[in-house]
Amino acid sequence: MLHIIDDEDVIRDSLSWLARSRQIAAMTYSSGEQFLAALDQPLRFDPSGDCILLDVRMPQLSGISLFDLLSEKKLTKRLPVIFLTGHGDVPMAVDSLKRGAFDFFEKPFNDNKLMDRVQEALVLSREAGLAAAVHDRLASLSAREKEVLDLILQGKMNKVIADHLGISMRTVEVHRAHIFDKMQVKTAVELAGILK
Amino acid sequence: MKIFEKPRAWSKEKWRWIIPILLISLFLATLIWLPLQAQRMEANERQEQLIADTLWVEHAIQFQIDRNDEMLRQIGADILVMGLKPAEVAERFDRLRNSNHEISSLAWFNHDNVLVTASTDEGPSGKQVPDVPYQESGALEFDIRTRCFPPTLDDQLPKSEKNSYVINCQIPLIKGTKHLGRIIITYRASGILEELVPWWFAQDNQISLVDIDDKVYATRASAGLGKNVYTHNRTLDLPDLPLVLHTNSNKSEPKLLANLLVSVVIVLSLGLIWSLAALWRDINRRLATEGALRQQVIFRTAMENSLVTGLRARDMQGRLTYVNPAFCSMVGFPADQIIGRLPPMPYWAPEAFAEYKQRFTDLLAGTVPANGFETIYQHANGTKISVLIYESALIDETGIQTGWMSSILDISELKRAQELSRQQEEKLHASARLATMGEIASMLAHELNQPLAAISSYTTGAMNIVEADNAEKNLLLGALSKVNAQAQRAGQIIRSVHEFVKKREAKREQVDICELIQNTMPLIELQGQASHIHIQWLPTKNLPSVLADHVLIEQVLLNLTRNAIEAMQDTPVGHRNLRIQATMDVDNDQVVVEVTDRGTGIPEAIAEQLFSPFFSTKASGMGMGLNICRTAIEFHGGKLTHSNNPAGGTIFRFVLPAFH
Repeated sequence: MLHIIDDEDVIRDSLSWLARSRQIAAMTYSSGEQFLAALDQPLRFDPSGDCILLDVRMPQLSGISLFDLLSEKKLTKRLPVIFLTGHGDVPMAVDSLKRGAFDFFEKPFNDNKLMDRVQEALVLSREAGLAAAVHDRLASLSAREKEVLDLILQGKMNKVIADHLGISMRTVEVHRAHIFDKMQVKTAVELAGILK
Repeated sequence: MKIFEKPRAWSKEKWRWIIPILLISLFLATLIWLPLQAQRMEANERQEQLIADTLWVEHAIQFQIDRNDEMLRQIGADILVMGLKPAEVAERFDRLRNSNHEISSLAWFNHDNVLVTASTDEGPSGKQVPDVPYQESGALEFDIRTRCFPPTLDDQLPKSEKNSYVINCQIPLIKGTKHLGRIIITYRASGILEELVPWWFAQDNQISLVDIDDKVYATRASAGLGKNVYTHNRTLDLPDLPLVLHTNSNKSEPKLLANLLVSVVIVLSLGLIWSLAALWRDINRRLATEGALRQQVIFRTAMENSLVTGLRARDMQGRLTYVNPAFCSMVGFPADQIIGRLPPMPYWAPEAFAEYKQRFTDLLAGTVPANGFETIYQHANGTKISVLIYESALIDETGIQTGWMSSILDISELKRAQELSRQQEEKLHASARLATMGEIASMLAHELNQPLAAISSYTTGAMNIVEADNAEKNLLLGALSKVNAQAQRAGQIIRSVHEFVKKREAKREQVDICELIQNTMPLIELQGQASHIHIQWLPTKNLPSVLADHVLIEQVLLNLTRNAIEAMQDTPVGHRNLRIQATMDVDNDQVVVEVTDRGTGIPEAIAEQLFSPFFSTKASGMGMGLNICRTAIEFHGGKLTHSNNPAGGTIFRFVLPAFH
């Protein structure tokens, strides 16, 4: 989901049209406050990734300030921000880049290039989301399950794991099933993949 | 240290005074003793004189008396031996008496006390026998001595001589063992004094014959009574008669100050003491003044040396007579190198020579600027310093002018700050002006940004859709119509900016170019001050006015002059001439303004781009200057061109149509 935050309705409209022409779903907000309000109600993060297009110069809550807020909430990886800057705002934008913004585009910009970058951001966001999910899932594992997981990741066979942990192979298999379940994977390879 | 020096100094002082004081006291003591001593000496002298004289008189009297005695004895001897007749004796008596007036009378008595004969006239009437015993009763032998008897009052004498005493002396006539008689000589007491005392003695003294009990028998005081100051007594050697000659000088005590010499000396000495005292007082006062003066001098010297302002004194010929340390450090020359010098001075900066010479001429003529004036000096190391100088006349205590005093303040820092603030002000001024241009530009940029961005996004999107082959007619139409709308909007924006520009259009009014340039001169001078630019302004009289916005024209001018000044940064200081000229081009009926510099000139390659916007050869330049200038001039119906200065440099020329 592309979140377009700009005070100019024409811009919002044209950008969302552009996004749609690239098969990117878009939602528009006329101000940073509006977006934050949506955040407060549990925002449904798009599993396929989210991205924010943010106009730096906005009345009331500026783009930078909004970014700082997101940064505080540690959402900048899940919600990568692309700044749209006017002439003279570049230094500010560069600064924000250093602080973790995804990118910035100076107006007037190449629309398709912008969309390309948005897509990259969405991928990043998706991965971030995934990583977060994995993290949560990991957290849900019990201590024993974590031990088993470590050994699985080391490529050990069930029997070896059982011997190592001093439990029956059956128990290992049960743990394994639980782990896969909780981690929402089907194979050990997958597991390894998401835990990279 | 100081605390210990003081008492020593004080005691030294005291010692220095002790000797003079001692001497003076000695002198005063002598002065008092001297008259006293003189007086005493004089008294002694007088007394001694009196004694000597008295002695002499005594001797004289004695001598006479003895002589008389001798004569009478001779007569007596003659009577006894030659048997003189009484008449002869009387004659002899008379002869003796006539030559000795002190003798009152002479008488010869015989053995029986009968008068035989006597001297004639005054004398005992002959019959009188002086009641004088002639012999010591009971004596065995006859006394052949002369014997004198105590003075008796002679009542035989006439009345006028009453109370006069006479002294009788007898000379016995003894022949062998027979006493035959005696001769009596009668002296008048006063007669002795009158006859036997010399007049010069009587002049100064009262002489008296007195007995041992001070009973006065006779006295002579021809020159007044004696003063009883100087007296002397001598006992006359009259046999059996202790008669005292008492002399009493009629001189009084010598007056203390009778001695004229002494009194003059005293007066002079007093005068001396008084003048010494006055001198001492004067010396003290002088020392005090000297001390105060020294304090003042030290104080003033300290002030002069501690000043940051330079001080310089010159005599009437302009020769340097004094500089303080601050001045020396300001110009970098030690005092001994510049004192006594006449212009040109080593601290004169070459580019201001003409200015200095003019001012020096004025100085010699007797005038200096009434207020402070600014100029530049050159430090010994070559750097230029801006200075502010105040001049005033030096008048001595008699009111005559002896030279000029200057105070010099280094205002380089001040100037630098001024220059900086001027630059900032100019930038502000320029940017304020530019702002209106930039305002418009940024406004345009900002406003147009939106519709253009929108158009871009819509059309890109549309193209994406078309390429993706799922172009829905309605979708595309929708997008395209939005594009159209945005394009309209852009046009509207431009139109409104146009309106805005029209509203802010420069006012056109009648402007006198020469007056405008003249009014701008201070700003131009300020521009050129830091680089020591020599500005030449050549107006033309009676130029027609032009219709223009004077602020814009000013801006153009300042722009051109700034460029000219910047172009001359590498030109040697003496050649940094900026000429501004306003003339009339009659043929084209326009006013011509030329700004000429002696700078680096504009090479061909750059010349083409000169008026391009955003072109600049300056590192900090935005390149808006010349472009805007040209636009501004052309806005007024004029033209801005440039050409090369044949003498090196550039001439920028703009013309404006004349207004009638």
